[in-house]
Amino acid sequence: MNLRLSTGPHLLSRESTQTLMLDVLIALIPTTAAGIYLFGSRAAWVLAVAVISAVVFEWLWQKLTRQPVRVKDLSAVVTGLILGLNLPAQAPLWMPVIGSLIAIVLVKQLFGGIGHNFLNPALLARGILLASWPAHMSVYYLPTRVLGATSVAPAADMTSAATALLRPSGFAPYDLLMGNIPGTIGEVSKIAILIGLLYMLFVGTVTWHVPVVFAGTTVLLTWILGGDPLASLLSGGLLFGAVFMATDYVTNPMTKRGQVVFAAGCGLIVTVIRLYGSYPEGVTFAILLMNILTPLIDRLTVRRIYGMVKKHA
Amino acid sequence: MRLSFKGGIHPLRERHEGKNASKGQPIRAYIPQSVCIPMDMHIGAPSAPVVAKGDRVKMGQVIATAVGGIGIPVHASVSGEVVAVSQKQLLGKNPSTCVEIRNDLQDEWTELTPLGEAETAPAERIIQAVRDAGICGMGGACFPTHAKMSLPEGKSVDTVILNGAECETFLTSDHRLMLEEPGRVVDGLRLIMRAMKVSRGFIAVEENKMDAVKAMQEAARGREGVSVVVLKTKYPQGGEKQLIEAVTGRQVPSGGLPMDAHVNVFNVGTAAAVADAVILGRPLVSRVTTVTGCVKEPANLLLRIGTPVQEAIDAAGGCSEEPGKVFLGGSMTGIAMPDTSMPMTKANNGIVVMGQKEAVVAPPTPCIRCARCLAACPIRLNPQRLKELCDQQDYAKAKKEHVMDCIVCGACSYVCPAKLELSPAFKEAKDKITARRI
Amino acid sequence: MRENKTFRGVFLNGVLNENPTFRLVLGVCPTLASTTSATNSIGMGLAATFVLVGSNIVISMLRNLIPDKVRIPAYIVVISTFVTIVQMLIQAFVPSLYEALGLFIPLIVVNCIILARAEAFAGKSSVFLSAADGFGMGLGFTGALLLIGAVRELLGNGTLFGNNILGGGFEPMLLAVMAPGGFILFGLILGIVNAITDRISARKGAKA
Repeated sequence: MNLRLSTGPHLLSRESTQTLMLDVLIALIPTTAAGIYLFGSRAAWVLAVAVISAVVFEWLWQKLTRQPVRVKDLSAVVTGLILGLNLPAQAPLWMPVIGSLIAIVLVKQLFGGIGHNFLNPALLARGILLASWPAHMSVYYLPTRVLGATSVAPAADMTSAATALLRPSGFAPYDLLMGNIPGTIGEVSKIAILIGLLYMLFVGTVTWHVPVVFAGTTVLLTWILGGDPLASLLSGGLLFGAVFMATDYVTNPMTKRGQVVFAAGCGLIVTVIRLYGSYPEGVTFAILLMNILTPLIDRLTVRRIYGMVKKHA
Repeated sequence: MRLSFKGGIHPLRERHEGKNASKGQPIRAYIPQSVCIPMDMHIGAPSAPVVAKGDRVKMGQVIATAVGGIGIPVHASVSGEVVAVSQKQLLGKNPSTCVEIRNDLQDEWTELTPLGEAETAPAERIIQAVRDAGICGMGGACFPTHAKMSLPEGKSVDTVILNGAECETFLTSDHRLMLEEPGRVVDGLRLIMRAMKVSRGFIAVEENKMDAVKAMQEAARGREGVSVVVLKTKYPQGGEKQLIEAVTGRQVPSGGLPMDAHVNVFNVGTAAAVADAVILGRPLVSRVTTVTGCVKEPANLLLRIGTPVQEAIDAAGGCSEEPGKVFLGGSMTGIAMPDTSMPMTKANNGIVVMGQKEAVVAPPTPCIRCARCLAACPIRLNPQRLKELCDQQDYAKAKKEHVMDCIVCGACSYVCPAKLELSPAFKEAKDKITARRI
Repeated sequence: MRENKTFRGVFLNGVLNENPTFRLVLGVCPTLASTTSATNSIGMGLAATFVLVGSNIVISMLRNLIPDKVRIPAYIVVISTFVTIVQMLIQAFVPSLYEALGLFIPLIVVNCIILARAEAFAGKSSVFLSAADGFGMGLGFTGALLLIGAVRELLGNGTLFGNNILGGGFEPMLLAVMAPGGFILFGLILGIVNAITDRISARKGAKA
């Protein structure tokens, strides 16, 4: 009888890094499907190139630096997909490749691999793409099909428009919700994002704290400062950022209290940039700035442990 | 709204905590061919054997005397002939002295001296009777019960809690004990309360054992100061710190003991043993152990102390497949055995056999800072941060960040998606900090 | 480390072992500012080299005369003299470079490299070796600037020394010619240099 000896626990949870990433991918299915439906096959190509190049770059890097290859944990797939969803449907196909290179190699692997990046990889890659090729990144294309019962007519291929944020009241809330507006592949269909959020809440991938406080702070502050709260919730990258990017485990604080502070900070910065800054959208910068503050937030929100009481008299 | 504590997990929820196989099995006695009784089953100095090879002993006879203030005597769990008094390497660091007795199957008791009934036995002699019966904590820790009942100068206790939570996976021995012999449990509680002059006694049971709850409520009816409390089913509800928090709302101060919160906690099995010691005069010679997992007939066996584990497994029908791992206790804090010839002891509440596939341990992957370990920790520590410090061997900082408060329950290791070995690292850190007096 | 006592030793030390940009990480401000194109990089590098050699020689010649308590102001006077000379020369002979580098030419006065070498080397060594150090550090600085500048110009403009290399289809990466891109690139090259030097010393250590 050859009995294995190991310390407990002897049976572990069935969750693994891979199952967590898989749940995120499942939650992204509605958004991905809506994006491809609205923007056509070009969008599918952008997403596919982003995902495949992310996986290839991670595999290459881990092979070249003689580390164990961990592409099976699906984290590169998630990064690639989120990056792709942050791009306009008509982006030239070399953009997702360069974006994936930046996200996987520069932001993630150079800092120590999974779990060690201090900024959200897909988001910083998007930021670098935005700063490097602003023309391609700031032009938003109208969807070539429409979702749901709407009076908006689908646009001809490659008709561009300014972001919905610049004239939010110009779009009916229904269209803002369904996604019949110009924007990047993933950010337009809010209903798809919300379905994804519900799935992740149900299986326990994320908790309500970050998405609700982030979106809530933005809406509340916008309303107080005189903007249109519903439009601010439903336009731009707010929902996509609050649900899929601010909730990234590695770059947000560990405690619930810390996450609330983090999310509130994101909401504040987004509102300030949108209302008073020169950029129409501030979600990317808000999340990146709060990512930088995460270690500080962690240090300031240490929990009170069991037993921190006076010895009973 | 059920009482509970902050943090905690639901291990093996998808398979009902592994308890379904044995929770319906009534307790049945198993008589072993021989027993091998170690001298160091309890916390404290090992007891000194007073028998030698060739001696004939009766059941319940003292075969080793207590050593030191908190030591307890050891008794023969069968009647028969002593075949050896020798050193054996068991699960401890050093070899243990063991007394092996071949069972003559007569079950001849030695002379017993009961003290009295639960409400009439002289209260001032109860603690001595508990010590003479060799009783130690039967929930797994095996701390000598008489020492726990004797409070040092300046400490006082106003509440006694009986731990019927049995939060560990696979274990159903306490469940069956409460269901089948609730009277013994309540008698034991009353004896403890009277000996310690405490007027408030609780029997805490998790709500996944409502049949046991009802049985205990029936038995507790009319008994002075005794009430039954139902707790939310969560691991580690049975940890004494969490139990005290849930039942009384008080917290044990960091670095302190339950008596610093004016509470004392005892396992229900320990209480039943106290009742037997005082009312029947019987020393601790047997206990209920759940034998389950990959065995053909999972059972709750009443085993004699010192029964070889392999005999217990065979009494449960034998292994149903080639075993990959056998551990004593539940799957969260159980101890894996290198071979099954070793004996079970006073503190073993479970013997679980795992198949080959289940016994495979997944290799750890990098931490993704998902913070599930923080949510799980019943002490509200930050296991991710502590693991970082332990990996860097920065034990001074780990101590500052309260690693010594870790109860090594394994909840963090269970939930970690990266399969990091968190609680073993903290156990090692605690041992090193104590050894090097950091 | 073995004290370098030969011209060649001191010179190579400045170019490689103690390269001011990649090993000492000095003078990062003008590095980021002037590496927007390869031409500007060489211009700045050579200007700094001229000042470095000149000031090293003069300071070394005067090293026993300058009182220790006023050495910094004295060094600055010497250095600014040379900077003034080089500024006038550039303004006269290469006005396009003068426009491109702008404020950063007079800022060579406070370039850490020059003051650091004056303090650490020229103030204590012979004129001969100080000149070697000046050349080595200056050329090391120029080489580093050229490397960074070439990459930034290539990525951010598609050109090299003004010549279109990457063709019309290339879409330049604007970030590369902005300060953040400069920082990131500097950091990446620094990482590569560290990785290479680590591997070289590991191999040396294995042989020893």
